[in-house]
Amino acid sequence: MLHGVSLDVARGGITGVLGPNGSGKTTLLRMLSGALRPTSGEVRLDGAPIESIPKRGLARRLAVVPQEIHPVFDYTVLDLALMGRYAHLGPFGFETALDLLAVRRALAATGTADLECRHFDTLSGGEKQRVVIASALAQFEEDTRDEGRLLVLDEPTAALDLHYQIEVAQLLRRLADDRGLTLLVTTHDLQFAWQVCDRVVLLQDGRVLADGPTEETLTPAHLHALYGVRVDRMTHPDGSVSLVPASLVGDRGRRAPTPVLAMHGARR
Amino acid sequence: MRAPAESGVVRTAAWDPHDPRAAAQAAAGRRRQAWRIYGLFGTLLLAAIVGAPLVGSTPLDLRAVLDRTRPFADNLDAQIFFIARLPRVLAAGLVGATLAVAGVVMQALLRNPLATPFTLGVSSGSALGAMLALTFLPTWTGGALTSVPLASLAGALGAVAIVYALAQVRHRGFSTDVLLLAGVTLNAFFSALILLVQYLSDFTETMRTMRWLMGDLDVAGYRPLVIAMGLLLPAAVAFAWLPRSLNALALGAEQAGSRGVPVLGVQRLAFFAASLATGVAVSLAGPIGFVGIIVPHLVRLLVGADHRIVMPASALFGAAFLMACDALARLVLSPVELPVGVVTAVVGAPFFLWLLIRKT
Amino acid sequence: MLLVFVGACRPREDARATAEAATAGPRVVSLVPAVTEMLFAVGAGPQVVGVSSYDKHPAEVATRPRVGALLDPDLERILSLKPDLVVTYGSQTALHEQLARANIATFTYRHGGIGDTLETFEAVATRVGRGDAGRAAAQVLRAQLTGIRMRVEGQPRPRTLLVFGREPGSIRHVWASGGVGFLHELLDVAGADNVFGDVARENIQATSELLLARAPEVIVELRAETRVAESPSPWLALPGVPAVRQGRVLALTGDQMVVPGPRLGQAAEALARALHPDAFAHQPK
Repeated sequence: MLHGVSLDVARGGITGVLGPNGSGKTTLLRMLSGALRPTSGEVRLDGAPIESIPKRGLARRLAVVPQEIHPVFDYTVLDLALMGRYAHLGPFGFETALDLLAVRRALAATGTADLECRHFDTLSGGEKQRVVIASALAQFEEDTRDEGRLLVLDEPTAALDLHYQIEVAQLLRRLADDRGLTLLVTTHDLQFAWQVCDRVVLLQDGRVLADGPTEETLTPAHLHALYGVRVDRMTHPDGSVSLVPASLVGDRGRRAPTPVLAMHGARR
Repeated sequence: MRAPAESGVVRTAAWDPHDPRAAAQAAAGRRRQAWRIYGLFGTLLLAAIVGAPLVGSTPLDLRAVLDRTRPFADNLDAQIFFIARLPRVLAAGLVGATLAVAGVVMQALLRNPLATPFTLGVSSGSALGAMLALTFLPTWTGGALTSVPLASLAGALGAVAIVYALAQVRHRGFSTDVLLLAGVTLNAFFSALILLVQYLSDFTETMRTMRWLMGDLDVAGYRPLVIAMGLLLPAAVAFAWLPRSLNALALGAEQAGSRGVPVLGVQRLAFFAASLATGVAVSLAGPIGFVGIIVPHLVRLLVGADHRIVMPASALFGAAFLMACDALARLVLSPVELPVGVVTAVVGAPFFLWLLIRKT
Repeated sequence: MLLVFVGACRPREDARATAEAATAGPRVVSLVPAVTEMLFAVGAGPQVVGVSSYDKHPAEVATRPRVGALLDPDLERILSLKPDLVVTYGSQTALHEQLARANIATFTYRHGGIGDTLETFEAVATRVGRGDAGRAAAQVLRAQLTGIRMRVEGQPRPRTLLVFGREPGSIRHVWASGGVGFLHELLDVAGADNVFGDVARENIQATSELLLARAPEVIVELRAETRVAESPSPWLALPGVPAVRQGRVLALTGDQMVVPGPRLGQAAEALARALHPDAFAHQPK
């Protein structure tokens, strides 16, 4: 699925990976996080081949947040977040005060501390996403800045409404700026990428189309090449930027109003 | 992109997330809670161990049972207690605990709450082995073990090997989907073979095999128990190692992997330990149904999903549950006995249906 | 109901009988081994044109076509043998309906005690036109049983466990005769008391607790076929049982022990000889 992709991610900052469906984003993430082995080429973390790093050691430096998570059993938020401490504790025994401290800090950092005793299934999509991020954060060694800690997120906002999208965006920025994490994020959301990422990689058919600072990569030309859609980049008077796809379905006013499916005053 | 006013604010909790003392208290609290639950289920098991040997088709005089002055050979009460009832109660405990834990492990491994220890074909392989022995090897004995339990254990291991091989062929890792499909198919295939063997065999043997399939805990002695415990030991060691990994596995194999879980190793260990344990339990007492699914679910309802608590609690509760079911089987139509598998199913099926309706 | 049904069929049977003078009487297919034996015993053997999969006795049954058994009667084969009468089990209701549709009479076998066997003997003999022979044979059987009962009269009646099934090599899944059925009655004829005589069931699973509690003085194991002796005896697991302690665990082999037919007399005698060797000591077998 990937054809000769090379990518260097520097410490710190947020790198976004964009590309149409099937362009290899998820494959790229899985390879970078060591879940998938490349058939040729290699992945290195701090200079060491990723498959040579013991799994537990790797888990303390690299955490992955998938698009969605469906635990088969009904765990509490605290239980779920504590699973992030696996690499610190091994298979036996119960968590120590240190583990609990790390997890509570992670929950606090993601604004989910007061959900500790709730059951994961009862949370909203945004809360779930943040709890899973907390669980991933809990994987890292506490209070180290000297080693590259990498947080990989696969479409963190795909299932979220606007409000939660912004919350997660702000959370990711805080993690990069205040805690010195290195973030790698895939997304389909141009606006999100523009706002959050320091650097953007555009993937097309398993090849890198463009790679560089966000302002230089998210250009109408690149985006047209990537999606085949005209995207307008508009700068507002206050300096903020909107990336707006041009309408492809024609003028809204001219569409036929005949209803196919109708519902009137339904209640439940 | 301007943030909504209330977003991004770290909500305050009742405790300070950065206070190490509060964290230490919480950690100690969690540990205490776990031990409280172990204690509770342990007490339940203790009650079952004390209570179950006291009931049966024959009224026993406990004073006579414990009377050391009378020689054992003349003490009928003591003989019934120590030769017939105690081994039977212990067998119920061993089999109940094993099936319950194997059920927990299978459900976590297959990420499917409806999985049972018998889902992957272990029991039908075991049954086929027993059936073949009953039909074609009626007189063969191999030292300490007789043909039927030995053949059923061999059948279980055969089924395990086939399912494992199938799961490997399609997938270089350990595909739980393939595992599940292979298990279900193998179950159907073995069941067909069992029917074929029954069809070809004599009528009295058919009845005997039917009875074997209903499960029976009357082991009449300690030797089968000792052998079974020896075979269960490696599985028990594996079970002790699994809980935290199974917790992580509940999130999905890849998620577990990114948290540092050696996924493939854990899956293999869980699969072989649960299968071996199930095979031993079935060869000891036949395929007693429902224990492996009711007990884990009931325990999860009571204590949550954490496998470090669910697994020991299921073992304790599974043992107590099967002891109680077996006591019921002995009592209801005394002196005629109900097959214990019938009791677990009659108690278990309505409960399970209730659980299903409640879930959806 | 049955009589009406039988009456309706009678003319057809007669017609067939005259048409096939070579074998006098109706052509019979028997799905029940015990009844097959009875038919042969009353001289109706030549009329038996089909037998069940489990028929072994007498030796002539080997030459007859097999038409299935209790669970798998082969209707096509049965019809192809053009029987006038089919002997069936009471539970084979589907078969009864099918045969009724084909206008073939059925004789329904009833499983039960010795009395039922004797009644069946006379009834089936009558149905194949050999009522006198049937009554005579039943009388002989009755006399045999009475003879055995008289011979063991006055002997001590040991409390006996009659086992007809057990997991090989162990004492698990022991199936024994309860207080109902021909095995229980045979035990009574042969001069012993069934330890499960109070249990109103034909068979009972004897758990180790029941074996210890009932404390049989003799254990008799019935086997259809000869088996290699188990060594050591699995019964030694229960040394407290008097029969085990005194070494009175007996094995009787032969399918007459499990087929409630004309050989019940032989079965009773074998049982009586095993239980009371002294009573038969003076007279060679």
